Amino acid sequence: MTSIKDIERTMDFHGEALDNIFETYRLMRENCPVGRSEKYGGFWFLSKSDDIFKVEQDAETYSVKPTMLVPPVADFPMIPIDTDLPELMDYRRILLPLFTPQALAKMEKPVRDISQDLARKFVESGSTDATAGFARALPTIFFSRLAGFPEKDWPKFDAWVDDILYERTVDPERARKAQDAVIAYFDDLIEKYRGRTIDEADTGTIMDFLLEARIKGEPLSRKELLSYCYLMFLGGLDTTAWAIRASLWHLAQDLDAQRKLRENPELIPMAAEEFLRTLSPVQAMGRTCKKDTVIRGQEIKAGDRVVLLFGAGNRDPEIYDEPEKIKIDREDNRHLAFGAGHHRCLGSNLGRRELVIGLEEFLKVVPEFTLGDPSEKWYGVGRLTLNFKS
Amino acid sequence: MKVLLDSHRCQGHARCAAFAPETFVFDDDGFSRVREGMEDVKPENQAGVRKACANCPELAISIVED
Ligand code: HEM
Ligand code: SF4
Repeated sequence: MTSIKDIERTMDFHGEALDNIFETYRLMRENCPVGRSEKYGGFWFLSKSDDIFKVEQDAETYSVKPTMLVPPVADFPMIPIDTDLPELMDYRRILLPLFTPQALAKMEKPVRDISQDLARKFVESGSTDATAGFARALPTIFFSRLAGFPEKDWPKFDAWVDDILYERTVDPERARKAQDAVIAYFDDLIEKYRGRTIDEADTGTIMDFLLEARIKGEPLSRKELLSYCYLMFLGGLDTTAWAIRASLWHLAQDLDAQRKLRENPELIPMAAEEFLRTLSPVQAMGRTCKKDTVIRGQEIKAGDRVVLLFGAGNRDPEIYDEPEKIKIDREDNRHLAFGAGHHRCLGSNLGRRELVIGLEEFLKVVPEFTLGDPSEKWYGVGRLTLNFKS
Repeated sequence: MKVLLDSHRCQGHARCAAFAPETFVFDDDGFSRVREGMEDVKPENQAGVRKACANCPELAISIVED
């Protein structure tokens, strides 16, 4: 038997550790809500919702330097995710106007059209992999257009994202090569935008906003631009794909919920929040303690790394009734899937709409579906085999 | 019933817009405030405002009962 101490010491939230992570979270919340893992150079981890919120909102005590990602996904600081206040706000302000409720209202129709088209093709093609056919395809098409990444380049994206986000804990060398390839790609793309030798230039894309941005009168340096592009590439595609895939994975097994959402599509936004709470693509993010402090009686020293286990806080019984249960009509859902405080996910409103509209259209077009391969996991962006009668 | 929004806490999650779009408005950066004249919440909007309060991740919204 593995002891609680061993589970604490080896706490991880990547790869196979996710197979039974919800049980791990429960044990940690109950036995060592402020735990200490030896992985990735050693870190404290928080599994109670209140503690996580407090740290998120406390810029005086916590920094995101050298990086929020544990383990790192780049060997340079990423903008805006690895920058602290006050610079953080200068960077965020460049793109915030793209993701306001007003701006998102204009994206409803294109997201819906793409979703409907993909769902139809998925049914007609006779394919059964809903990840490739739908969950990954929707953000690839919609987010890439919004970002201004040319369509001919899309086929290269999945492999780069997989190598950087999923291989880094298994094969760091491969992740490094992919990082270099993505940076080289954006170096070239920025050149094309600057020279206006590209159809996407001047069409209000994320690339345009970044290139036209001024901070105290100065444009972003080449390094800043590359860093921001790299983070948008990693943050905008895979997260949404995971959220859609995980929601379909759950609905394929919970046929009552699937039927209820087909009959009452107005419940889908509420259900989507519940899927984000329980099956979120970002299970954790890191901070660095700037000065000695105490959390729940545990001393934390300046320089220590602190990991916020969003996935654990999202199932905290002090916050949620029946926290382990996925209830599509849960009304009070102040979850942590997009973090909180000044680093709140910049794309949260977009991610949400892609998930909600994606699910609405999928359920409209695809008849009742079940899980085709029970060995497929709840997490990641791997294959999702769905069985349905067409 | 009155609704208050602490703009220092608001981080633009826009959950309030999802539940009570009539009560909250957004600036160009996506931060929320209570729409002018909507601080006193009409009975028909109270359920939505309560949900907005319960779902705001930053605890930026508070309600004062009469
Ligand atoms: C369902 C989809 C998504 C989830 C669950 C998600 C989750 C997260 C989380 C947990 C953080 C860290 C927040 C914190 O530490 O407090 C984050 C940061 C970020 N996300 Fe997302 N994200 C999603 C989609 C997107 C999309 C579509 C974009 C693209 C616009 C995006 C861009 C970013 C950026 C730029 C940051 C860094 C913000 C900062 O440090 O100020 N995300 N995301
Ligand atoms: S839900 Fe809360 S944090 Fe989000 S916009 Fe509304 S008031 Fe601001």
